[in-house]
Amino acid sequence: MMSEKSKQHVESCRFCWMCHHICPIGNATGLERNTAKARALGLSLVNRGALKLSDVIDNIYECACCGGCVTDCVTGWDPVMFTKEARLDAAMEGVLPEYINKLVDNCLETGNAYGMTEVDACLAETTAKHAEKTDVLLFLGVDATYKVPTAAVNAIKVLEKAGVNFTVLAKEPASGQQLEYLISAANETKEQMVACAKELNAFAKVVVFDPQDAKVFKREYKEWGVELTAEVVTFTAYTAELIKNGALAVVNTGKEVVYQDPFQLSRDLGETAEAREVINAYAVCNEMLCHGKDTMWAGNILMKEWMPDVMLRVASDRINNAKGVKADTIVTASVSEYAALKAVAQDDVKIIALEELILGE
Amino acid sequence: MQMNEFLFSMILTELEDAVGKENCSVKEIDKLTHSVDYYWLSRMWADRGRRMPEADFVVAPKDAQETSKVLKIANYYKIPVTTWGAGGGSQGGALPVCGGIILDTKRMNKIYEVNTEAMYIECGTGCIYKHLEWAANEVGKATMHYPSSIACSTVGGFLAHRGIGVCSNKYGKIDDMVLQMEVVLPNGDIIYTSPTPKHAVGPDLNQIFIGSEGTLGVITKAQMRIYDQPEERRFRAFLFQDMDAAFKASKELLQKFKPSVMRLYDEAETASLIKKVVGVERKGAFMNIAYEGLTKMVDVEEEILLETFAKYGAEDLGSEYGEKWWKEKLTFFYPGHALDLPKLYGTMDTIAPYGKIEKIYYAMKEAIETNFPQAKFIAHFSHWYEWGAMMYDRFIVDPEFVPEDPEEALRLHQAIWTTGIRAALENGGVVNDHHGVGIKLGRYVKEQYGPAMQVLEGIKKQLDPNGIMNPFKLGL
Repeated sequence: MMSEKSKQHVESCRFCWMCHHICPIGNATGLERNTAKARALGLSLVNRGALKLSDVIDNIYECACCGGCVTDCVTGWDPVMFTKEARLDAAMEGVLPEYINKLVDNCLETGNAYGMTEVDACLAETTAKHAEKTDVLLFLGVDATYKVPTAAVNAIKVLEKAGVNFTVLAKEPASGQQLEYLISAANETKEQMVACAKELNAFAKVVVFDPQDAKVFKREYKEWGVELTAEVVTFTAYTAELIKNGALAVVNTGKEVVYQDPFQLSRDLGETAEAREVINAYAVCNEMLCHGKDTMWAGNILMKEWMPDVMLRVASDRINNAKGVKADTIVTASVSEYAALKAVAQDDVKIIALEELILGE
Repeated sequence: MQMNEFLFSMILTELEDAVGKENCSVKEIDKLTHSVDYYWLSRMWADRGRRMPEADFVVAPKDAQETSKVLKIANYYKIPVTTWGAGGGSQGGALPVCGGIILDTKRMNKIYEVNTEAMYIECGTGCIYKHLEWAANEVGKATMHYPSSIACSTVGGFLAHRGIGVCSNKYGKIDDMVLQMEVVLPNGDIIYTSPTPKHAVGPDLNQIFIGSEGTLGVITKAQMRIYDQPEERRFRAFLFQDMDAAFKASKELLQKFKPSVMRLYDEAETASLIKKVVGVERKGAFMNIAYEGLTKMVDVEEEILLETFAKYGAEDLGSEYGEKWWKEKLTFFYPGHALDLPKLYGTMDTIAPYGKIEKIYYAMKEAIETNFPQAKFIAHFSHWYEWGAMMYDRFIVDPEFVPEDPEEALRLHQAIWTTGIRAALENGGVVNDHHGVGIKLGRYVKEQYGPAMQVLEGIKKQLDPNGIMNPFKLGL
């Protein structure tokens, strides 16, 4: 049952096209249904009894919830809010698509939507060196741990390079970010968050590598009353600080790059300067179309599970934005976007992660 | 043609073969989202929980070749084809009122060439205009086509309905901004219009297809003009106490130079919209002027503007309100600022020469407010020419006077439209300036053209003998 607040947003968005141009998925697919308007129209007819939620639920899961439409809206309507609420309703009513149910089950059973339990050997070995309890926890997240272990290893190397004494958990608790995306504020999501907070609270500071985790730690945990006493700092902000205080040595190559702002940092947490400070320490950060809080999402690993072709097109579009300003290197700060962009075969645009830039790789 | 289940499945496989299975849908959500556009009646219908007529198939070809295949299939089976850009039209032009095929153009969104030598961008017509603007900006140029729907309408949508942007006074309408077009005819033939828009090789093919609203074919590619960014864009707002003086001042100004933006709001709009969005809390008719280009030209134009408007008693409000207007020019159209349900309303969008447009304003106002006391009539004049002006006139009925029954609401809406349009036609006006005709105004096109309608009908009959292309639109 949709809340009155969400209904109001649905009613406002159902006939409005103003954010049409900004949807990365709509731009990639060209499908009319991949618009905030289409989702709102569908849900408004569900609210009026003219359609069933199951009739539109696939479309509800074609949204990245990147918030481009929310940022673009002058009036402040929020399609992400009603999209997430529809997901929660679908979970409650038992009308989740089968492919989403499977991912949710995986999250509950293994802590990650991919259902993976085996960690890459090199990562396990690197992690083991930091098993000892310290004040600082480096939280890697499920995408780095299971899908891009090289990124996780590099993140560890960056802190090692800076001489930070830190801990990495051999088995990290799930932050709840994947369940939050899949079924929003369901009890299962909150339970996962509470369990995670309990482990994180053993540390004074948590450096969060994946912006997707950082977003929920700093936002949803607070909104939903999950007590997280540890200080949460993003990997980008932490490395910027390490550079400022001289812990990380820098040599600027003068290479010109563009930065792909992860929406979780730029829009959800309002963090845009820190990554640029890091980049400008090692290279020269130029801007491409739609940057900062207006960033255009470049795809992710999770949605690849049910929309692999679309993820390739989303990433490809973003690479074209870089080409539009004659950039030949995109620096990412999100492991998920890194993987999405890397999946597009490119000869003329190089994708490098922030940690690779720092390590000079 | 009666489409039975077996034939439906057969046709579906042919369409899938033409555009690829993933680009051909019969899903509920796809049919639904292509059944409601910005037309008040379609929105009201959905608002009342009713389903608008839906297409049987939604196809998205990637280029002219695939479009050609779709049209050949449609012609063979005699299935209606309605072309859909981004669905932002206000005239019901993209509504598949007879079912059949929705041909969504948004997969044809490729930017093929940014040519700064001949100053155009060649693109697929499914390209959202804002993306074209981004492409132009990347090379330091601009499209200068800035309608309220720039972010939510396609190049093809603007061409199909003869759209216009706020800088039209200097840079022209969409029909002034196109060089060559690629068009797929209803029989599937792919044709190209003249490589240049100015020539002496007979009537201009561009202008036959521009504004044809998908009734004569599908425009699949276009070369759209780009312009140098102005060295400077300056604004000046004025307040007129007398609409006649504003018309005279504007006409005189346009004989001297072309500002980019010229928008005159009547007292009612000044007291409502302008007060709300721009913050002008004064009685009178607000007018905003922008002039742009090389600074030394802009200096001269400013001098002429101030001199001309002073002659007609305009109060100079300085540049601040104009700048605010420019910044907020799209704000007017977001939910919460724009007109929306549960109100009943319509934008009549009339154009006429000077001497007539003023009369039309008063005639329409009187006709609507007299016959429908529950309706308010407001207007602004936003596109000006040396010979006349366009009136963006609207009627608004507050929710308490809007029938809950959708059939009755439809009747009231139609009746107000008929009264307003007839008043415009009787006083020498043209049915529409830049929103197009669609199904909303189709019935007035014959009244507008009289025997001249046979020209359009003849072209239609020759190009689309089976009448499959967007039936019941444009009065064809």
